[in-house]
Amino acid sequence: MAAAQTEQTAVSRCTLCPAACQLQLAGAGPDAWRAEYPSQGSAGLCPRGSAVCELLSSHLRISTAMRRRGPRLAEVSIASVLREIVSRASGGLTVLLDGNMPCEQLASAAAWCNAWPQARLCIAVEPADKQMLTGIDSSGAEYLPASRLADCDGFVVIGDAFAANPMCSRGVLDRRAGEPRTPIVVIDPAAGTASKFATHNVAVGAGMELAALAAVAASAGVDGGPLARQTAGEMSSAEAAGKAIAGCKRLAVLIAAEYGRAAPWQQIGYLAGLLAKGKGGGAAAQTVGANALAAVRTAAATGAISLAEALSDGTKPRLAVGCDVAGMLGREDIEIFAAAAPLPNETTDAAEIILPLAMNEELSGTIMADGDRPVRVSPLMSPPVGVVSPASLIAALVKQAGVSQARPVKEGAPLPRLQAGPPAPATVWKDPSGPLVLLGRQAANSGCGAVTGCASWQQALNQTPELRVSSDVAEAHKLKNLGLANLKVAGSSLSFRIRIAPELGSGIMVMPEGLPQVRKLLPSRIDAATGTITCEPVCVPQGLFGG
Amino acid sequence: MDTSASNQTMEQRVLIDLDRCIECRSCAAACYYSHANMPAVNFARAGWALLPVICRQCKAASCVEACPAEAMVRDENGVVRRRLLRCIGCGSCARACPFGVLPDQLGGTPTASRSPQRMTGHQVAKCDLCADRTVDGGDVVPRCVAACPAGALSFADEHRAEQLKLTVLGGRATGENPYKRR
Repeated sequence: MAAAQTEQTAVSRCTLCPAACQLQLAGAGPDAWRAEYPSQGSAGLCPRGSAVCELLSSHLRISTAMRRRGPRLAEVSIASVLREIVSRASGGLTVLLDGNMPCEQLASAAAWCNAWPQARLCIAVEPADKQMLTGIDSSGAEYLPASRLADCDGFVVIGDAFAANPMCSRGVLDRRAGEPRTPIVVIDPAAGTASKFATHNVAVGAGMELAALAAVAASAGVDGGPLARQTAGEMSSAEAAGKAIAGCKRLAVLIAAEYGRAAPWQQIGYLAGLLAKGKGGGAAAQTVGANALAAVRTAAATGAISLAEALSDGTKPRLAVGCDVAGMLGREDIEIFAAAAPLPNETTDAAEIILPLAMNEELSGTIMADGDRPVRVSPLMSPPVGVVSPASLIAALVKQAGVSQARPVKEGAPLPRLQAGPPAPATVWKDPSGPLVLLGRQAANSGCGAVTGCASWQQALNQTPELRVSSDVAEAHKLKNLGLANLKVAGSSLSFRIRIAPELGSGIMVMPEGLPQVRKLLPSRIDAATGTITCEPVCVPQGLFGG
Repeated sequence: MDTSASNQTMEQRVLIDLDRCIECRSCAAACYYSHANMPAVNFARAGWALLPVICRQCKAASCVEACPAEAMVRDENGVVRRRLLRCIGCGSCARACPFGVLPDQLGGTPTASRSPQRMTGHQVAKCDLCADRTVDGGDVVPRCVAACPAGALSFADEHRAEQLKLTVLGGRATGENPYKRR
């Protein structure tokens, strides 16, 4: 390899998960970039971080504004597009802003939307993450950074936290290497990576995570309040797990709020926070994106509307800035008038107008990574010519409407914790009889794969997505290990490579979460009354597999 | 580079702590992105475990013996590597490898045939221990080791593997229960 190709040019942070790993960029040919890795030690960079560097120079980058004319896209000027959006916004405009942006971008966008009466801002994060963070914030638990996990003497892992943030595994494994008897309790119906390292795997069905956690907390001697008392299930494995962590003096609760599980994540987050507090430790939320906590707190502080509200009102045109709302929710029926994004995604595919947007790695600002620790990020490089930041795009739009000055909602105040109070007991999801298909994390992709899904390694890896099936499902459906099968759910079908997974509980199938085409198989439901978006596992009766 | 075969052997190997691999494939992604989109890291599944396997740099390298085009050589630093422009994609090395760590599909993986840097699309992907940066020695590690988030991979003298309770990556991948954590 030529020396010029390995020259390191810039250092910044990855913003795809709370680890916020350091990124180094190296040349990979003319106008092409790739990730470089520290030459000494193993600092760690997961496949998502590696992908980001390639995507900065991706041939898929959206670099100009485009207007859909029939089946074709025609190049148009950004000024004309902004004029068109403003003219359509006379009755109001819903701005869906991706929450995984630096805090300064979120605050500036909120200030500009606040100054324009027509605009309603929605700061979008993964629905399960929002609920979980609301619950943890309300519990008053401390947020544990990954660097302090090795100091903990016990771990409760909910969901596949190791796949959500591979870096968080290091602290857990460091502790276990030094103290092999450290209890690691895992509650994950999809039996993800973390469950392979568990000392206590809590046998739990889909949607039953809260009941299992309440039983663990009760057995560990932590008072979870009325919420825990009303939801605790009788599970022998949970009781044994609770006894194992009963003596912990510093317990870490790692939570990955898994999408598509029908689990009440606000209640789980709250109870996890109480459990961590009760055992002298803290919670480590493994969110999609590094800045989800700041996004949730900013949305509350600025009075931004919820995603459910934004999607329920179909009368106002929608402008999506950076967020792939259609891919995230697995829905094709969401009407988007204009979408700004750095790379093509399900939302830009559905939009009439497409605008270019800077990637996070081209922006500077502050993110609240790794718990609630502010981290300053610097850009790896400048965005391409004519490509602007999300806040600049919204500012230009509002200025086009005749507003000359932004109106900040709160000047310079630190983002306060959410004080939602103890959540009401959740309705227990009724597990339909029959094999269930649910979503599981993949370390390769972040969220719905809106960004990382465009990277070449991820595309190769997921050419044929893997469907993990339990042994009994494989037998019932006559599925062969490593064979191909089409799964037909909700009017959609997708081809999978079958893998018979002995670690899965009876009647469970798990699809990779980070693929929009997979999320379409489990479309979400919007409940405007409660302001929630839920996605449930789907029952797969006989006959839904084709060869 | 001196292309003549060398008797010198590289003592350092990529070692894996089987107790720490979280199957995230960060090593494979790092290899892919830094080796012209041809990853030399493959994976072997055994029961619950999905573990990375790469060339273990055999002292008596069957792949070098088997290659009819002299594309597989041990270079002056003792690293068994593939010479890109000489590889004719016959697959002899993959068949000769006693550990099965060279890809049995020509082109390595399906990605290789789509790589913009490809020469013929028929080369075999081969680990060179990131020779472009490890050749000068010191504490420099291959990229797969640097990328490992769980700290499962290390780059050390293979003779210390047993002492460190580690396994040479690629060795005994299908052997007698090396998966101690499970």
